[in-house]
Amino acid sequence: MTTGRIVKPVAALRRSGGLLLTAMGVLIAAGCASDAELDTFAPQGPISEELHNRGVLPVFWIAAVVLVGISIAMIYLIWRNRVKNYDTDDEWPSQTHGHVPLEVGWTVGFFLTMAAVAALMLWSLPTVNATEDNTMAVEIDGRSVDWEPTVVVVGNQWWWEFRYYFSDQVDLAELRAHGDAKTLPPADIVTSGQMIIPTGEEIELIVTSRDVIHSFWIPALNGKRDAVPNRFSPWKIQASSPGLYFGQCTEFCGLSHSRMRMQTVALDPADFQAWVNNTSLDAVEPVDPEALAGQEVFAGICTSCHVVEGLNDDVFERADQASGAAPNLTHFANRSTFAGGIFNSYNADGSLNRTVLEAWLRNPSELKANYIVPGEQYRGMPNLDLNEAQIDQLVAYLAGLGAKPAGWIIEATQVD
Amino acid sequence: MAIVEKQPLELGTADTVSYAEKPLGVFTRPQGGRGWRDWLSTVDHKRIGILYGVSAMFFFLVGGVQALLIRLQLAVPDGSVLSADVYNQVYTMHGVTMVFLFIMPLAAAFANYFIPLQIGARDVAFPRLNALSFWVWLSGAIFLNTSWIVAGGGADCGWFCYAPNSGVAFSPSHGVDFYAIGLQILGLASLVSAVNLIVTCLNMRAPGMTLMRMPIFTWMLLITQFLLLFALPVITVALFLLMFDRVFDAQFFNVDAGADPLLWQHLFWIFGHPEVYIIVLPAFGVVSEVIPTFSRKPLFGYEFMVFSGIAIGFMGWGVWAHHMFVSGMGPISVAAFSLSTMFIAVPTGVKVLNWLATMWGGKIRFTVAMKFAVATVAMFTIGGLSGVTHSVAPANTQQTDTYYIVAHFHYVIFGGGVLGLFAGLYFWWPKIWGHFLSERVGNWHFWLTLVGFNLTFGPMHILGLQGMSRRIDSYARGYGFEFWNLTATIGSFLIAAATALFLWNVFKSRRDAPYLPPPGPDPWDARSLEWSVPSPVPVHNFDTVPQIRSRDDWWHTKYGEDSTGKVVQVATAQEAAQTGEATGVHLPSPSFWPLSVALGLPLIGYGLIFNLWFALIGALVTIGSLYSWALEPVDDPDAAHDDHDDHDDHDDGSNDRAVDNSDSNEATP
Amino acid sequence: MSAETATAGSVTTSTVDADNHGEDHGHASHATSTGLSNTKLAMWVFLGSECLLFGGLISTYLLYSTRGNGRTLPADVFDIPFTSVSSFVLLMSSLTMVLALSAVNRGEAEAGRAWLLATALLGAVFLGGQVYEFTAFVREGVGFTTSPASSAFFTLTGFHGVHVAIGIVMLMSLFIRSVNGNLNQRNSETVEIVGLYWHFVDIVWIFIFTVIYLIPVN
Repeated sequence: MTTGRIVKPVAALRRSGGLLLTAMGVLIAAGCASDAELDTFAPQGPISEELHNRGVLPVFWIAAVVLVGISIAMIYLIWRNRVKNYDTDDEWPSQTHGHVPLEVGWTVGFFLTMAAVAALMLWSLPTVNATEDNTMAVEIDGRSVDWEPTVVVVGNQWWWEFRYYFSDQVDLAELRAHGDAKTLPPADIVTSGQMIIPTGEEIELIVTSRDVIHSFWIPALNGKRDAVPNRFSPWKIQASSPGLYFGQCTEFCGLSHSRMRMQTVALDPADFQAWVNNTSLDAVEPVDPEALAGQEVFAGICTSCHVVEGLNDDVFERADQASGAAPNLTHFANRSTFAGGIFNSYNADGSLNRTVLEAWLRNPSELKANYIVPGEQYRGMPNLDLNEAQIDQLVAYLAGLGAKPAGWIIEATQVD
Repeated sequence: MAIVEKQPLELGTADTVSYAEKPLGVFTRPQGGRGWRDWLSTVDHKRIGILYGVSAMFFFLVGGVQALLIRLQLAVPDGSVLSADVYNQVYTMHGVTMVFLFIMPLAAAFANYFIPLQIGARDVAFPRLNALSFWVWLSGAIFLNTSWIVAGGGADCGWFCYAPNSGVAFSPSHGVDFYAIGLQILGLASLVSAVNLIVTCLNMRAPGMTLMRMPIFTWMLLITQFLLLFALPVITVALFLLMFDRVFDAQFFNVDAGADPLLWQHLFWIFGHPEVYIIVLPAFGVVSEVIPTFSRKPLFGYEFMVFSGIAIGFMGWGVWAHHMFVSGMGPISVAAFSLSTMFIAVPTGVKVLNWLATMWGGKIRFTVAMKFAVATVAMFTIGGLSGVTHSVAPANTQQTDTYYIVAHFHYVIFGGGVLGLFAGLYFWWPKIWGHFLSERVGNWHFWLTLVGFNLTFGPMHILGLQGMSRRIDSYARGYGFEFWNLTATIGSFLIAAATALFLWNVFKSRRDAPYLPPPGPDPWDARSLEWSVPSPVPVHNFDTVPQIRSRDDWWHTKYGEDSTGKVVQVATAQEAAQTGEATGVHLPSPSFWPLSVALGLPLIGYGLIFNLWFALIGALVTIGSLYSWALEPVDDPDAAHDDHDDHDDHDDGSNDRAVDNSDSNEATP
Repeated sequence: MSAETATAGSVTTSTVDADNHGEDHGHASHATSTGLSNTKLAMWVFLGSECLLFGGLISTYLLYSTRGNGRTLPADVFDIPFTSVSSFVLLMSSLTMVLALSAVNRGEAEAGRAWLLATALLGAVFLGGQVYEFTAFVREGVGFTTSPASSAFFTLTGFHGVHVAIGIVMLMSLFIRSVNGNLNQRNSETVEIVGLYWHFVDIVWIFIFTVIYLIPVN
């Protein structure tokens, strides 16, 4: 018998056992990273907590136990049965061909293990799917309505729109019958990039898209749900305490998929009502001359895609975008983020993030990849060839588009 | 690539060089034994296997370079190595290349080379169709990659290419056209090959080789071919719909006309999930050959291994929608697919424990092949278990489309598939080439691969659970992604270094081969029939077709048991092995037509994309070649030495007259 | 295109015994593990794959049958009597196929030739009907690009039509071989294999006709 040129086993596979354990260790340690704003192991609402405690953690432990068991068995087998001297040890071990009871045994064992996992799945499934029939009182246009907290979430390349219906509430069946995300019924509040929700309420999300498939995901509050055009998918989130919760589109949606982010701001009910009061109004009319000049520039150029309620809502035509829409800017200054959730509108000290806003107006493609092909529908904001004076005027105008002073939202999340 | 045959095997009659009139009069019938041209016309399953293997390794390097580009881009936040556009093309083509142009053809290489040898056959059922499979595959692979040159870039829609992002409106470049048509060409190759290998396994077994005596590797490949057989038409439908949408303005995925984008997802994953098993089952087969050989024990629970393989094959059809848990399906279907996904873990787990039980009480020799095989089991176990964690549908909503999934499927496909195939390369190298791969270099290759692999993909578990999305061309600072991404990039370069070592090993071992003892027919004291013939395998495989009396028949030829159950040698491998010196073995004649048929297909593809005239030319080439093929007898009448009667008509299976075969194929240095 | 033959099957089992050459000329079928010839088994396996192809196309149509993009649906312009007749023609071609095979098996070359031609002609009549149907639909405003429903309809029936056309080419090849005197009892299996394909295409049509044409869409 030739055994070829077999080199003596180096450290055998002992080390690979160590690797297995290390891999498992870091898996468990994953939850410990503290600076990770998208961390799935740091749930911050009742839905995500229940999901985590029922569906995620127990299964991770089961998997860990199985992995450790198999690893130990493997390391032991390797250590016990390895041939130490290839030249002298030429024995043949006894030739066992199998052992049916043993094999049936571990088939059943695996079956029972998976049955346990299945039970955990069935136990945790309702946490993400069931919907409470909760209502909260919201004042809108001077009257109080029982709002069934619902936000229609619409994906676009590459930003999110959030639509609030208070006075004329929509539900899932109605939207499904209506069918088209491009012509949704007019809403009381339309905002983008940043969704505002009240704490302590289960918020039903109705997720859809105007162009390709996106996925809405705020890891701290719940798992994700795809935004599929021609479909309206129910989802829900709930935050326990005020705060800013981050998300990232997770379904590949084209060029700037990585730059399609979103935030959810949870406010306590009083702050939420204040936000509703401010945001359901028409846009603030500018007073200072520069902002007025900006309004003129805006009306001349930007309104071909963007809406500012009170300025062009009645003359608005569909945006020259594949999705047929661009962010509604009525309360631009009320939000703390812009350009699909990738830039902060305000600096840490509360002042306007003028540098980035100006750079964005100068040439958006430089900050966020997009498809701008002349003669075709745009996907993303084109370069408008604005001169510096126009940019300054536009910034002045945009900075005034909000009923509350800049940055109040961030402050509100930090009250608690 | 250093994998070049040293001395071309001689096939057919070297002394009979006659050029008779041929159908259509384009080619003279190739006669074999004429250098490189012989490779173009070969119908020898071993040569086709080698062609598959060499091409697959080439595309492994291509896909590897793409992987390195991805990792370079993601090494630090706000990476600027690639633009978003190029990144999307690179990650798409990385997936497509690794799945369709590396792992599948490498498995096909093993399947082609070893299925006939393991079942005691002289070739596959349809040798020319086998050549066709390879050339069609290669033409598809080249077609797909020419998109970088002629279309200004590859597909940018991800290997899953979800509608409607794949439509002209959202992906106007021609990259997706190349994806849709290229994958159809590749699918055609796999379909032909699946039919061929299924018939081979079912019909060409040596006398006495019942299905339950078939080597486990062949079994796993047979299951794989059935999966291909049924999965490919489904993706073909999807690709046709996509192509019709893009080229002929059909409305399948036009959401404005009321189309449902989930149609694509269902069709894609009905193919795509069996595809996972298409990738790992061959590796499972390799591991199931390597572990018994180097543990010096038969495979523990052969029947359980076969039936768990079949069970995986069946259950693999009922789990596709677990890729779509967050797509908005109803809770009932979500629960059902979640359950079916969990229970496919049962046969898979059984396999892992049976491998361990094979090692139990064995005498384990840690050759490089064995190390790769054991590592395959270990790494696949990690991948399988992380799969269990996100088979739980609610948990899946947190984990899907994050790097946790990227980690998971790389542990399954790289850890379970590629490492297993590397085990096969080290195991069978002496059989294919007549010399060993260096164990010393191989050791370095193995450890570097294992460490690099875990360093690359281990951290991705953490990144995913920290919320890093898949398919993003860059990530911002401040999410805690920096450290582990850098680690993963370092790991990926270790894998690259390991691969370079492998290539060095290929070169070095070939260079050193003349100065080292040849491996002989059975260097590992192994169990299945391919070890009963000389290394490298003579062109006719078997001098005499063996009569099979038991499972592991070759091993039982060498060993028996005494009354106490102790193993005793009854014959040495050298004594029992065939000499490979038979003459007069009839073999199918080579043909240029398979290559010619394949050449037309990319032309049709270019035609559909750019100008229909190309398509017309391509169609003429392909149809003309098929016609000539049909008129060409399987066996060249001019190469026959005996007289022949009237049934040399081409369409029946009766014209097998024998050919003198002077085998000057002892390439042993 | 069933030219790939079963030769290798007998190769496997033929030994190096030099005397064996002359005797090994018969059908390969006896030499295979299953007893089926390689070619026939390959056809069965291939048809298994085809089931999934048509399964995918039929599912696509069923999903899209009512998605008319606000235009006329294919189901609104179906001419059931007309398609029933052409379906009947295709159904009859299966009968003539059976007769062709049995004639060739009995060694009645001329009868076999006639039935083969009849089968091909019936197939051609069906195809002609389909071409007429397509043009009529287009005239009534249901074109390939009208709606998801129409795209799915034309793709499904078009794929089937291409299968019928390929079948006709195979039948005509057999016919020509028969004219040349190359089709006899010994290689009648080729006819059987082409017949398998033809019957499959026929059965698929029965399925399509029932599911697509006869079951009303809402």
